[in-house]
Amino acid sequence: MPKEFVGPESDKLLGANLVPETLNGLLAGFAMAFTPEVMLYAFVGCVVGTLVGVLPGVGPLAGISLLLPVTFGLNPVSAIVLLAGIYYGAMYGGSTTSILMRIPGEAASVMTCIDGYAMTQKGRGGAALAVAAVGSFVAGTLSIVGLMLLAPPLAEFALRFGPPENFALLVLGLLVLAYMSSGSMTRSLAMAALGLLLGMVGMDTMTGLFRFEYGLSELGDGIGIVPVAVGLFGISEILISAGQSTRVDVRAPRLRELLPTRREWRASAGPIGRGTLLGFFIGIIPGPGHIISSFVSYSIERRLSKHPERFGKGAIEGVAGPESANNSATSGAFVPMLALGLPSGAVPAIMLAALMIHGIAPGPLLIQQQPQLFWAVIASMYVGNVVLLILNLPMVGLFVNILRVPYSYLYPSLLAFATLGVYAVNNSVVDLWIMGGAGLLGYVLRKLEFELAPIILGLVLAPMLELSFRQSLAMSAGNYTIFFTHPISAFMLSVALVLLLLGMRSTFTRAEGTRALASLEPSASQAQKGNP
Amino acid sequence: MLRILPAGFLILLSMAGGVAAQEAYPTRAVNLVSPYPPGGAADLTARPLAPAMERALKQPVVVVNRVGAGGAVGTQFVSTAPADGYTLMITVFSISTIPEADRVAGRKPRWNRDQFVPVARINADPTMLIVHPSTPWKSVKALVNDAKKRPNDIIFVSAGPFTVAHMAVEVFMQTAKIKMRHLPTTGGGPAMTALIGGHAFVSALSTGAVSPQAKAGKLRVLANSGYKRLAAFPDIPTLKELGYDMEVYLWTGIFARKEVPPAVVSKIRTAIGQAVKDSEFLKASAKMQMPPDYLDAPEFKTWWDKDSEMLARAIRNMPSPGK
Amino acid sequence: MRSPTIDQVAGSVLAAFSLLVLWECRKIPFGFLAEPGPGAVPLILAIALLAISIAVIAGGRAGRRFADVRWTEWRHAAAILASCAFMALAIERIGYRLTVLVALVFLTSVVEKKGWIAGAVYAGCFAFGTHYLFNHVLGVPLPQGPFGL
Repeated sequence: MPKEFVGPESDKLLGANLVPETLNGLLAGFAMAFTPEVMLYAFVGCVVGTLVGVLPGVGPLAGISLLLPVTFGLNPVSAIVLLAGIYYGAMYGGSTTSILMRIPGEAASVMTCIDGYAMTQKGRGGAALAVAAVGSFVAGTLSIVGLMLLAPPLAEFALRFGPPENFALLVLGLLVLAYMSSGSMTRSLAMAALGLLLGMVGMDTMTGLFRFEYGLSELGDGIGIVPVAVGLFGISEILISAGQSTRVDVRAPRLRELLPTRREWRASAGPIGRGTLLGFFIGIIPGPGHIISSFVSYSIERRLSKHPERFGKGAIEGVAGPESANNSATSGAFVPMLALGLPSGAVPAIMLAALMIHGIAPGPLLIQQQPQLFWAVIASMYVGNVVLLILNLPMVGLFVNILRVPYSYLYPSLLAFATLGVYAVNNSVVDLWIMGGAGLLGYVLRKLEFELAPIILGLVLAPMLELSFRQSLAMSAGNYTIFFTHPISAFMLSVALVLLLLGMRSTFTRAEGTRALASLEPSASQAQKGNP
Repeated sequence: MLRILPAGFLILLSMAGGVAAQEAYPTRAVNLVSPYPPGGAADLTARPLAPAMERALKQPVVVVNRVGAGGAVGTQFVSTAPADGYTLMITVFSISTIPEADRVAGRKPRWNRDQFVPVARINADPTMLIVHPSTPWKSVKALVNDAKKRPNDIIFVSAGPFTVAHMAVEVFMQTAKIKMRHLPTTGGGPAMTALIGGHAFVSALSTGAVSPQAKAGKLRVLANSGYKRLAAFPDIPTLKELGYDMEVYLWTGIFARKEVPPAVVSKIRTAIGQAVKDSEFLKASAKMQMPPDYLDAPEFKTWWDKDSEMLARAIRNMPSPGK
Repeated sequence: MRSPTIDQVAGSVLAAFSLLVLWECRKIPFGFLAEPGPGAVPLILAIALLAISIAVIAGGRAGRRFADVRWTEWRHAAAILASCAFMALAIERIGYRLTVLVALVFLTSVVEKKGWIAGAVYAGCFAFGTHYLFNHVLGVPLPQGPFGL
C-alpha cells in the first residue's frame, strides 16, 4: 500500500500538495477497486441494493442493516464496498416503484411519487425512470468529488452544528418549505401540523418518558416514517384505483417512448445540478438529510419554475431534482464519517459498526492510518455509480413492462410486497397496522383533495425540532438567548425572520411578492450560483 | 380480542414446546433475540457468539433483532415468547433499568427482573470518563473541584436517558456528590459528536468509540469506570482507585425466561461456556475491543443483582425531570 | 342551511383530533418554560393544529360540498383494507407463506373473480417465491407458522 499518505500533513487535504496527493490516492484506490474481488462485491452490492430498494418500504437503512451480518466474513475493504453498493443501489431502486406505482420504495422517494407517477399515467414513466437514473448518477458522481476534495474541512464545519444551530436550521427549512404548497396554504399547514403531532408519539429523548404509546412498546421509537409513507402514498393509490369501474389504463410505452425527449433533458439539467449541491450540503449535517433534501429540492424547483402549476401533474423537474438531491445527500453523509469517524445518521452509524467489526476503529485518523481503505471506498463509489447506471438504464424497459401485468394481479402483489417490506424492516406487526391505518387516512384525505407530503415532512421533522429546541435549553439552563448568542443560529434565524415578513407581505398583497421571494431563498440562490 | 388471541395462541405453543423441550434439547434452531439493532453492543457480541454456540449445540443459532424503545420491545417480546429454551435473549443493563424507570415515572413496569433467569455474562466493558481537550480538567479531582464550585453548570452529554453513558456519569455524580447538567442525545455517535464539537464537555463512552478519538487528541480521557486499568489505556486510573467507590459497566448477558426447564438452561450454560472459549469467537472479540469477561449463571446472578440494585438506586436518586 | 363543504367537515375532524390530543396531554408533565418537559411540545402543536383547523373551517365556506364526494370504490377499498388487517393479524401466527397465500387468493379469486385455480397458482408462486428469496437468498428470516410453513 502507498505509504506516502501516512504523514502529519495528510489530514489537511487542502494544501499545496492537494492535487498530486489526491490523484495518487485515487489511482491507488482505483487499482484496488479494479481487483476482481472488490469489483465483484461492488457489483453484488449494487444488484442486491437495487432489488432491495425496489421493494416498498425497504430503503437504504433497512437494506444495509438487514444485510450487515453478511459482511462479517469479508475483508474490510470488500465489506465496506459491498455496503456502500447496497446503500447506493437502494437509493436508485427506491425511485422505481415510486414512479411506476406511486409506492415510495423508501422515505426519500416520497417527492418522486408525486410527479413521477403523474408522468407514468401520461405514458412518460420510462422517461421519468431514465431521468431519475441519470440524475442519481450525476449527483452521485459529483458529490463523491466533493467528498474526496472537501471532506476534512467540511466535517470540521459540520461539527459546529450543535443543538441551537440545528434548531435554527430546521426553522429556516420549515419556512422555505411552507411555500411548497400548491393549493391552499392553511390546508397544507393543517397537514404539516398533523404530521408534527404524529411525530410526538414515542419515547421522549430528553427524559425517557413514553408519550401517547398506549401500552405498545413498539411505538416507543415513534410512528415509523416508512410505514406511513408507504401507506399514505402506496396503499391509498391501490385503494383508489383498484375499485374504479372504468380503470384508467396505465399505458406501457413503446421503446422509443422510453427515453426522455430533448426538451425533457433540458428541463432536467438545472434541477439535477441544484439538487446535487443542495443534497450534498444537507447530507453533511446530522439527521435524515436524504429525506429532507428531497423535500427542499422539490419546493425549490417549483418555486423557480416558470410553470409551477405543472408540478404535481407530471413535471419532470419534480423527479430530477429530488432524486439527485437524495443521492447526493448519501455521499454528503459520508463526510463526517470518513473524516472524523462520527456518523451523521443511522446509515453511516451502521457503516462505522461494520468497520469496527473488522478491527478498524474509525476516527479522525482514518484517512491517515487507513489510506488504502479511504481511497478504495472513494474509488468503489465511482465504480458503483457507473455500475448502477449501466444496470438501471436497460432495466427501465424491463420495469416499465411491469405495467403490462393486469391490475387485478398487480395490485395484490403490490400489497403483499408492501406488507413484506414493511414487516421485514423491524419484524414489527405494529408497523403493518400503521401502514394500513395510513393507507385509510391517505385514501380519505385524497378523496378530500388534501396534500399528503406535508404529513410526511412533519413526521420527519417533529422529533428533530423538539429535541434540538429542548437540548438547546438544557445547554443554556433555560436561557432563550442561546439561539441568538450562537452566530450561525442567529444568522439563520434572522434569515428566517426576513422570509417570514416577506411571506406575510406577499399573502396580504397577493402580488409579485412570492416571485421576489424565490430569489431571496438562500439555498436556492446558492444553488444557482453553483450551477450557472 | 386483539390481546386475547395472541396470548391464547402463545400458551398453546408454549405447552407444546415445553413437552418437546424436555427430551433432547435442542432439536431445532435456537433464536438469540437482540433488542438492539445491528451494530449495537448486544448485536456485535451476538454475531460471533452465535456460530460458536452453534458448534457447541449442534443446531443453528439465529440472531434476531427485535429493535425499539431503547431495548423495551425486544425484552418484552422475549418475556412473552414460549418458555422452551428456543428463544434466548442477549441484552445489556436496560433489562434492569427500564422497569425501574417505569416505576419512578409512576407507571406499571413492563416486566420485572424476576421474569428472567440470567444464563451467562459474556463481557463487561468499563466506560471511559472523557472531557473536551479545551477544558482545564487534567484529572478527575480537578473536574470534581470545579463542579463543586459551580453546581449544575458543567454540561455532560449522554447517548440518551438511562443509557450507559448517562448512568455512568449519574453514578459518578452521586458518588462524588457533584451536580452537572445533562444533555441527552439519540445515540453514541451523536453524543461523541456533541462532545468533540464542544457543545458539551464531559461524557462517559465505550472504549471502542473513545480510543480512536483519544489517539487523535480530540478528547482527554480522565478515568475508567471498571475495577482495573485497561491494557489499551495503562496510564488511565480507575475511578475506584481514585477513591470514588463505584463500578459501571457496559455488559452483555444472556437471559432466558424463568419458566424454561432447568435441564434446558444447563445445556445452554454448557454451550455458552464452550462458546466463549471458541478461538473464532475470541478472535472476533479481540478485533472489536470487547474481550469476553465470562460469568456462569450462579456468579452472574449474584453480580447482576448487585449491579441492578446499584443502578436502581441511582435512578431513584435522580432529580425528576419536568416536574 | 346548505350542506357543509369539504373544508368544514375536514377542519372539524382535525379540530376534534387536536382537542383529543390536548385532553391526552394533561397526563404528561409540561415542565417549565425554562425546562420544557415531555408534554410541552405536543401541547403547543395541538394548540397550533386547533388554530389552523379553525382557519380551515373559516376559510372553507365556499368550495365543494362534502356530500358531493363520490365513494364509488368503497367496496373494493374495504376488501383491500380487510386483507391488510388480516395480514397484520396472521403473519406472526400462521407464518408468512400461509398468510400471503390466503390474502392473495382472497384478493384475486374472490374480490377480482379471477377463478380459484388462477388465484391459487399465482398466490402460491408469489408466497413461496418471495419467502425463498428472503429466507434463503438474502438470509432475512420471515415468521414460520404451523407445519413448518
